[in-house]
Amino acid sequence: MPPWSDFEPFIVSGLALGGVYALSGVGLVVLYRATGVLYLAFGAVGAMGALTAWSLGQAGAPGWVTWLTCIAVAALITLVYGLIFGPALSRREPLVKAVATIGLTLILYGLMDLLWTTSGGEARSLTLPSDNGGFSVGQVQVNWTQVIALGGAVVITVGTGMFLRYTKLGTAMRAMANDREITATLGVPVRRVEAAAWLGCGVLAGIAGLLLADLVALDATTLTFLVISSLAAVLIARLRSITVTFVAAIVVGLLHDLLTPITSLTNYRDMTPFVLAAAALLVMPRSQVMAQSREEA
Amino acid sequence: MKAHMSARRAIVLAAAIAIAAAGCSSSSSSSTSSTGSSSTPASTATGSASASTSAVSTSQCGTKPGVAATGTPIALGAIATNQPGTSFTDIPNMANAYFACVNANGGINGHPIKLYIATEQTNPAQIAADAKQLVQTDKVVGIIGNTSIIECSVDSSYWQKLGYYIVDSGIAPECYSTPNSAAVNMGPRYSSDGAVQYALAQHVSKVVFDQSNVPGTGYIAAGPAALAKAANVPIVQLTENVPISDADSVAIKEVDDAGPNGAVILNFTPPEALVILQAAQKLGLEDHVKLWGCSTPCNTDFLATSLGAKWNNKLFVNAELTPPDVTNTTTMNLYKAILKQYGSAVSGGIGSFSQMGFTEAEIAVHALETITGAYTVASVNAALKAVSNFNTGMLCQLWTYGSYPLHIPNNEDYTVTPDNGKMVTAQGCTQISSVDPQIAQYRSVAGTAATAP
Amino acid sequence: MGADLSLRNTADRQTSRRRPARPQLIRIVTITALLLFVLFGFPQLLSLYYIDTMTQVAVYSMVTLALGVLVGRVGLVSLGQIAVLAIGAWVAARLLFATTQPYPVILLEAGLITMVAGVLIGLPALRLRGLYLALITLMFAGAITVVLATLNFPNGGHGFTGYNGSLVHIPPIRRPSIASSDPAYFRYAVIVAILMFALVLAHTKTKPGRAWAAIRQSEPAALAAGINTTLYKLWAFALASFITGVAGGVLAGAVHYLYSIGFPTQDSITLLAVTLMGGVYSMWGAVVAALLYQFLPALLNNWGVSADWLTILFGLGVLQVLTTAPAGLADQVPKDLARLGRLLSRRFRSPAPGKTT
Repeated sequence: MPPWSDFEPFIVSGLALGGVYALSGVGLVVLYRATGVLYLAFGAVGAMGALTAWSLGQAGAPGWVTWLTCIAVAALITLVYGLIFGPALSRREPLVKAVATIGLTLILYGLMDLLWTTSGGEARSLTLPSDNGGFSVGQVQVNWTQVIALGGAVVITVGTGMFLRYTKLGTAMRAMANDREITATLGVPVRRVEAAAWLGCGVLAGIAGLLLADLVALDATTLTFLVISSLAAVLIARLRSITVTFVAAIVVGLLHDLLTPITSLTNYRDMTPFVLAAAALLVMPRSQVMAQSREEA
Repeated sequence: MKAHMSARRAIVLAAAIAIAAAGCSSSSSSSTSSTGSSSTPASTATGSASASTSAVSTSQCGTKPGVAATGTPIALGAIATNQPGTSFTDIPNMANAYFACVNANGGINGHPIKLYIATEQTNPAQIAADAKQLVQTDKVVGIIGNTSIIECSVDSSYWQKLGYYIVDSGIAPECYSTPNSAAVNMGPRYSSDGAVQYALAQHVSKVVFDQSNVPGTGYIAAGPAALAKAANVPIVQLTENVPISDADSVAIKEVDDAGPNGAVILNFTPPEALVILQAAQKLGLEDHVKLWGCSTPCNTDFLATSLGAKWNNKLFVNAELTPPDVTNTTTMNLYKAILKQYGSAVSGGIGSFSQMGFTEAEIAVHALETITGAYTVASVNAALKAVSNFNTGMLCQLWTYGSYPLHIPNNEDYTVTPDNGKMVTAQGCTQISSVDPQIAQYRSVAGTAATAP
Repeated sequence: MGADLSLRNTADRQTSRRRPARPQLIRIVTITALLLFVLFGFPQLLSLYYIDTMTQVAVYSMVTLALGVLVGRVGLVSLGQIAVLAIGAWVAARLLFATTQPYPVILLEAGLITMVAGVLIGLPALRLRGLYLALITLMFAGAITVVLATLNFPNGGHGFTGYNGSLVHIPPIRRPSIASSDPAYFRYAVIVAILMFALVLAHTKTKPGRAWAAIRQSEPAALAAGINTTLYKLWAFALASFITGVAGGVLAGAVHYLYSIGFPTQDSITLLAVTLMGGVYSMWGAVVAALLYQFLPALLNNWGVSADWLTILFGLGVLQVLTTAPAGLADQVPKDLARLGRLLSRRFRSPAPGKTT
């Protein structure tokens, strides 16, 4: 086992990676609580926004325009999807709704590779001004983008948690996610609430996409399928608690990076999210699993 | 009812398959692979090149300037990887551009060259099928321009059986270790050798060699391992799963393992290498090692521009081909001119990919022009095998195919370093050391080729 | 109008007298004829490029068949079928290199070992249902993919993994001696596929099939009826894993060289998409799905069209299937064609009575 000092820099990078997972994971759970859909296209939508932002940046647009465009693109795609397929699939079980978002993921993935073709020698990258500057912790530097990502995840966790629980709109969203028909009969303007939910989801995906494109890589494949690793935190929280998702994401990120200096395990460290999720799911008490409630999937 | 339903289903299915397949099996399908409408901006380097191209006319590429070739076409084939994240289509596309130029200026004794390009997504079944398509349906007489992660492994016995001597840009081990493949580049192992060799020459105390976990890592690692052992320098071998999603931990690990007087040598595709190097920079670690090195894929102006000034004279990239930005020879200018006039399908612009395509096409044309009779599989491949001491104008050495059990004809290289957005030469042509057993074996049968004038 | 109606009714009565005559026989004859055509006609008609492609279709039709059993018959969505295929291929490759056993034995062993792996994964996983089950299969698939990326596929080396990273000449995985050429191996693959389809047929027509139908309808009701749901779900997992393992073995021989980058996790997602599109409720659906997954890309590749259009098509297909046509193409296309046929026949028949009177 390497000495403790070897692990130190990986704690910092692990927290940063945890922030990355938290951004996607929290976004997914928030979406699930608000719409009843596990939005697997979260990464793809964010990637599309980020690539659009990159193209605009290459064409000379100022930074803030590109960021707003990224968020707008993600929000628009999500809103359109939600308005068309939300009502169409509202009576189906959560599994079907999630698989439908796989359809959207594939469409976007194919589109991204067509529009932003892979060219042999080219490497796209997205940089944000918060990349320059930060502070040191030990021998490594932390840049502001990582702080924003982690902080943003915290804000989203706390903010949306409170929003969903304490505000009228948030409660309406949760009710709709549980049972659309009954909520409609109670006089809640379902179409408007639904649109608000999907729009909010899209904005979240856009913000996450921008940050992830900077922190991870500006690559359609990486960003689209990063959602698979982020699902680990979501599963550990059983798609219910946003706070648990956040904490789980941090733990997954930390553990993943802390395995790096251990030579015998380092090549397997990419398994960390999957192993943790599987373990967490399998220690789930049986009674919760057999529940009939639609919210339980 | 049900019987008729399923009977109908069966007939519909059979008819559909039979029609589609029968219709397609007889088609001679040429595929100039579509790189799509690239909304990506052109390489920043082409701007600087236009000044020197004005002196060269592309008609120099052929034997009869201005005369279009109208005879029966000579069919050649190429297989290239084209999948999200990895695309080598620039190489055969550039070869095609060269052939287009030749076809417009006399062809080969009046015959135009037709290049069939098959793309693949690293699927062995597909690659084997592509090879059979080229040979059986498109009836190609030569294979020029293959660039694929695994094609050499999958098809080498097929080429051997049929007597094709291919000219390719190699990646897999079999591109260099079989009698039927000769590459214009050095491939990941020998290019990594070059990068490690440069680092060792700077007297680093430790080498960390990190590569992407794609097929052949052991084969590739053996070269640097031999070099480090001969120099009595400890070497740490690492692999990373790609695409990389946590570049931070990768960078930290590499720097930690190398130490302040060590070198980190990377063997990745440009996007992955960029992510690692950028992570190192964001973490403030780029100066925590003595130097960084990279195999040839990093040799692009895109990388130099994206990395920024902090990497000037910090990152040393092995360059398998003559640096285009600082060379003003006729051949280099011809390359740039052809790229400009005929190379609309080459999305990467000036760089090692298009240079490789150009070189392979050059060799093919040189070989084809020596043929006096019919252009058959036998005659074309005999001519290719007979290419000897050819000055491509793009490589350090003269290029030879020859009848050897293995081929590493490009074994001398440059080292370049980024300098404010461009790659500039840090070290001229240097031979890859014979400490690498494969290089030693090749030199024992083929000798050491002369350096190009 | 009256005359036209009666004409139609007489015609209908005549055909309806002929229709129930021998439906089973017609079906068997048609399918046999089709299979014979595939086995003996294809190698004559198709170029080697398409023979190789059709071999892949045969291999993946077994995989989509297995997935169809899980999704269509039992209602379990697995997002990790490609990882199971990789396990089967790995086991087969290891045995093919390490032993000189005959091919059928190796296929059987690959199937059985994969089945054991599938059951081991299924046992704990089946405590979950619906979305959770799907996601946990995805997690398992992700884990297996990472392990395979590190251990690599056997390439003739020694030791447990059978992988030698420093080889400069990688030996090919062998094929059965009776089927070493591409057309012969195509026939071999089709025959193995037929056997797997027969195996599934044997299941669906007997007790497991009925139990699965009951479970898909309503699990609590099935439980109440005394069906051991866990056992039958596990049985479905075991069957699906066995078939996919055998498919992996056939794949190993087909491609000669196996690489871990050939089995990425996202392929399981595409596989689910095409299986849904093909139709999970019928066995024809598995064939359609395999054609979508392997034949269409090969076709487009030949025409120089980017494979991305197919990805988009699959995405659209998933959405279409889930919203409007749950039974998939295999059910939808004949229905659409029948509807088209009726539309056309109505157009043809309406002027006729006018002419005769």
